[in-house]
Amino acid sequence: MAAEQKATTEEVKMDLFEDDDEFEEFEINQDWVENEEQVKEVGLQWEDDWDDDDVNDDFSHQLRKELETVSTDKK
Amino acid sequence: MAYVSMGEAHRRITEYLNRFCDAVSDQDSLTLCRLLSFSSNSPPLLSLADALNVFQDASSLIGKSDKFSEYGEILAHLFRSLQSYRVGNLVEAYLAFDKFANAFVQEFRNWESAWALEALYVVCYEIRILAEKADKELTSNGKSPEKLKAAGSLLMKVFGVLAGKGPKRVGALYVTCQLFKTYFKLGTVNLCRSVIRSIETARIFDFEEFPTRDKVTYMYYTGRLEVFNENFPAADTKLSYALQYCDPKKERNIRMILKYLIPVKLSIGIIPKDELLQKYNLHEYINIVQALRKGDLRLLRHALQEHEDRFLRSGVYLVLEKLELQVYQRLMKKIYIIQKLSDPARAHQLKLEVIAKALRWLEIDMDLDEVECIMTILIYKNLVKGYLAHKSKVVVLSKQDPFPKLNGKPVGS
Repeated sequence: MAAEQKATTEEVKMDLFEDDDEFEEFEINQDWVENEEQVKEVGLQWEDDWDDDDVNDDFSHQLRKELETVSTDKK
Repeated sequence: MAYVSMGEAHRRITEYLNRFCDAVSDQDSLTLCRLLSFSSNSPPLLSLADALNVFQDASSLIGKSDKFSEYGEILAHLFRSLQSYRVGNLVEAYLAFDKFANAFVQEFRNWESAWALEALYVVCYEIRILAEKADKELTSNGKSPEKLKAAGSLLMKVFGVLAGKGPKRVGALYVTCQLFKTYFKLGTVNLCRSVIRSIETARIFDFEEFPTRDKVTYMYYTGRLEVFNENFPAADTKLSYALQYCDPKKERNIRMILKYLIPVKLSIGIIPKDELLQKYNLHEYINIVQALRKGDLRLLRHALQEHEDRFLRSGVYLVLEKLELQVYQRLMKKIYIIQKLSDPARAHQLKLEVIAKALRWLEIDMDLDEVECIMTILIYKNLVKGYLAHKSKVVVLSKQDPFPKLNGKPVGS
């Protein structure tokens, strides 16, 4: 029984010996020059002004229908 | 193993010894790197290993020549390690490599210039990889793995040799990154702190002078630590740096950076374009981004459930869970805009009952008290500007900017 328990703790320990996201090594002699295009491209991949007033998507249409039934309920 | 005659074995070993000693005296770091790269399993190293296993007594060869015996200790441990490595005895190989590494570091310390830095990098990398292999062997034999931890101590010692003033300091960041990889694997990330302090508080050396390769790796790991600490602006700075300067050819590394950077960006109200998610195969974030765009609380919940294991393993689950408040904000804004279409004059009054109805539609069952509580939180966190008219059960929205944007700052800051 005691031995069995020990085995499980070891398994758990081994499980900790993992990092799914270990960064790949770069070549020892590799030092690349950063290029400006890359820098720009990275910057263009994000949106901080996405929060628009558009309610023409499916989700908004359905939401609108739901809300309109509230008002008719009341009447 | 192919048959190797005694004479041939003798020739191969002598050739290696000559190349090693010449590389040191010529300060030829790149040759030295090749002579030490166990894990490359290069044909010359494998055939040397076979020769050593035939010849058995390589130390006598080393002792016979003054040229070789100057590095006798280094070479003897290295040979022993390579012999064990070749026959798959990885714990023995680790133990001998550790002795070799200590002897090599001692020698390196005495060399005034930093010519052998690359070779030292190889030693640091190899000992970590060898330790991982040795630990696998130990656990499969029912013993407790301890070599990676030991390799961490050796790397710390190397860090100490490099971290001082002088030309060798430029190598400190490489070793730091090897330490990070070790500590992240061992689950002892708190040990990163002292090295980080030493790197970041040093006035004698500007961080920007380290090689890009090491700066990118360093920023990736310290960025991940900031995610764990829920310090999102700092995580954003570090991971964005890593993304910006990472070698574009290393797509797996870029993907790993994004795995952490995306939740960080989302938490400060910035969303990735779909092309980015597609290009790096980050499909687990597609629905989360959609949920945020639409205000779809149901979709958010499903997306979190669907990839729960993955998000928990990488430690971003809690970060993503907190996006719920932003999704609530988006939903309230949608309700407000829809009301404005039919009755502009009264659009700024959000009835709790209406909100409850919308939530029910999204499969969230809340009574009016609970809705009121959520609205209080949104107002308190400055995601909604307005006040609660408790008696009439209405949220009265501010006429000016009722749904403030985060503008790159975390919720509630």
